[in-house]
Amino acid sequence: MIGIKNDKKMGREAILKSVKQNKPELLQLPDINEASFEEDINLLETFKNNLKVVGGFVKEIDKKSIDTEIKVLHSNKTNIVSTTKKSALGTITIDKNTEPHTLENIDLAILEAELGVSENGAVWVTASNSIVRVLPFITNDLVIILKKENICLHMLKAYDQIAERHRDFGVFVSGPSKTADIEQCLVVGAHGAMSLAVLLI
Amino acid sequence: MSHATKAAEFNKDEAKVNWHDKALWYVREKRDKSAHNVQGWEYLRQLGSNIKANVLSNLDEYLVQFEANAKNNGVHVHWASNAEEHNNIINDILSKHNAKKVVKSKSMLTEECHLNPFLESKGIEVVDTDLGERIVQLAQEPPSHIVLPAIHKTKEDVDELFQEHLGTKPSQGNPEYLVGEARKHLRDKFLNADVAITGVNFAVADTGGVVVCTNEGNADMGVHLAKAHIACMGIEKIIPQEKHLGVFLRLLARSATGQPITTYSSHFNKPEDGKEMHIVIVDNGRTEQLSREDFRASLHCIRCGACMNTCPIYRRSGGHSYDYTIPGPIGSILSPGKDLKKHSSLPFASTLCGSCSNVCPVKINIHEQLYKWRQVIVKEQKQPVVKKSILKTAGVVLSKPGLYRAAGKTARFMLKNAPRFMIYNKLNAWGKARDLPEVKGQNFDDWYKKRQKNG
Repeated sequence: MIGIKNDKKMGREAILKSVKQNKPELLQLPDINEASFEEDINLLETFKNNLKVVGGFVKEIDKKSIDTEIKVLHSNKTNIVSTTKKSALGTITIDKNTEPHTLENIDLAILEAELGVSENGAVWVTASNSIVRVLPFITNDLVIILKKENICLHMLKAYDQIAERHRDFGVFVSGPSKTADIEQCLVVGAHGAMSLAVLLI
Repeated sequence: MSHATKAAEFNKDEAKVNWHDKALWYVREKRDKSAHNVQGWEYLRQLGSNIKANVLSNLDEYLVQFEANAKNNGVHVHWASNAEEHNNIINDILSKHNAKKVVKSKSMLTEECHLNPFLESKGIEVVDTDLGERIVQLAQEPPSHIVLPAIHKTKEDVDELFQEHLGTKPSQGNPEYLVGEARKHLRDKFLNADVAITGVNFAVADTGGVVVCTNEGNADMGVHLAKAHIACMGIEKIIPQEKHLGVFLRLLARSATGQPITTYSSHFNKPEDGKEMHIVIVDNGRTEQLSREDFRASLHCIRCGACMNTCPIYRRSGGHSYDYTIPGPIGSILSPGKDLKKHSSLPFASTLCGSCSNVCPVKINIHEQLYKWRQVIVKEQKQPVVKKSILKTAGVVLSKPGLYRAAGKTARFMLKNAPRFMIYNKLNAWGKARDLPEVKGQNFDDWYKKRQKNG
C-alpha cells in the first residue's frame, strides 16, 4: 500500500519534471490588441438578433411591466421561483440551503443577469443570481432580466467586466438548451431549460 | 486493420456515406459563415495560437500556479501520469463517497483512458449524458466524432436503440420525440447520481478554475445535483489568464458548429457548500509529444472538430475508420506519438490538401505534421512490397526525362486503345468507381512546343 501512495506523489513530480525537460524555450505571451476587434455596431440590436439566432426570446420592456410580460409569456405555471426583487411572481421560496433535488418540478425560474454579450447573445449568471446553482438548468422555462446598459461588445470586454467578482460559479447562457445529436436536426430543449426569455429593462 | 480497410467497410453503404459527407460539409459551411462575421477573426486565430505556444513553453509553471489557486479555492487536485493512474484516482474518490451511480458529460480524455469499462468492472454505473454520447454508449460503440459523437447514426438507428433500451414507441426517427424521451430518461439519471464527472475545456492558471462548455446543459445538471464533481483534464488544457477565455470561447463554438458560443459556458471555481470538487490532471503521453519539436503544436488543439468537418477523407471514411479516440486529421497527428505501429496508416489517410490547417482555430500546421509523420513512418515501419517497388519505379521514371516521356506516351496509348478490362481492374485503384479522364492526342510538353513554334 505504501507503494501506491508513492506512485501518486510520483505522478505530480514526474509530470512536472518531464514538462521541464521537454518544453521548448520560453515564448512570449502575446499582448491582446483589442482595437483589432472594435466594431461600430448597435450593441442592443446585435444582442437581440444574436439571441434570436440561438433560439432565445428577447424583448425590451418597461421596468414596471416585468410581471405582466412574464405572465403573458408563461400564463399557467404553478411552481415558480424568483430570485430577484424585480419580480413578485415566485410561488416557491428558496435559500442557499435548499436541497437542489427539490427543484426538480420547477416550471419557471426568474433570475437577474449581470451582463449581456452582444456578439453571441449570452448572459452572465452567477451562483448568487441563482441562489441554488442548479436552478437555471433544472427549471423547465427560464426568464432572465437584464439591464440594457449592461450589454458589452464581445467576450474580451465581458471578462474585463467580471474580473473583480467573487469566483465560485458562473455561467454564460446563450439561448435555451439544445442538441443536434440526432441526424443534425436541431431540437430545442435538451437537459437544461426548454426555453429562455431575456427581458431587457 | 489499416484505415483504408476500415474506410472501405464504411463505404459499402453509399447513401449513408453521401449523407455523412454532406452533413459534415454543412457544418463546415456554418463555421465559415460564423467566422466571417467576426471582426479580426484571423488575428483572433493567431492570438489563440500564440497563447497556446506560450502555454507549452511555460507549462510546468502554469500547472503549479493552477494547482495552488485551485487548492486555495478548496478544490482537490490530483495528478496522473497515465490512464491507469487516472482511473484509479477516480475509483478512489468514488469509493470514498460510496458512489455507485455516476453521470459523465463529454470528456475525450476519459474515452482515451477507457474509464467507463474500468468503472463498470468495479460495479459502478456510468451514464454518458451528452445525447450523442448516450446514443453510442447504448450501441456499445465509441464516438465517431469529438463534437458530434453519433454523426454516423441515422435517426432510424437511434429510434431502434431507444426502443430497445429506453422502451420508447416506434417513431420513424422523430427527433423531437426521441430527444424528449432522452430528456426524461437522463433526468432520472441526473437526479439519482452520486458523483458527476466532466471533462475540461479550459483550465485557468491565474484563477485555478475550469470551464466546461455544453449545448445541452448536461454537465451542469450532473455537477449541481451530485455530491461531488470530478473534472478530468490533460495537462495541455491550461491557459494563463481568465482573460484569455475571451479569445478561446470566441474561437471554439464558431469553429465547431458555427454557433457564436455554446449554450452554456460554465466556470467552476469553488464547490457549492457541503460538496466536493476534484480535478485530475493527466499526462498519458502528452509530455512525450511535447518533446517532439515537429509535432508539439498538436498540443494546441482545443477539440473543436473543425479539421474533421472539412477533411475530404474523414467525411467519406467516418470516424470509426481511424480506430483512435480522436479521429480525423488531428487524431492522425496525435495517434502516431502514442503508438507508431498501431496507427501507422493514419498519416496517410489524407490528401495533404491543407484544409484542416486552414480552419484550425489555433493554427496547428496539421497537414505539414501529417507529411512529417509519413517520413518518420516509412523510416521506422516496414512498408508493403508493392508500395515500395511502385515508389522506387516511380522514382527512377521521374528522374529520367526520356523514360518519363516514353512512359507517358505508353499510358496515353493504353488508355485510348487498350480493352476496358486491362485498365479497370484490381491493379488500378484510381479506376475504382470512376472513369479515368479522356485522353487527348498530346501531352502538355508537345502542346507547348507546338504553340511556341506557331507563335
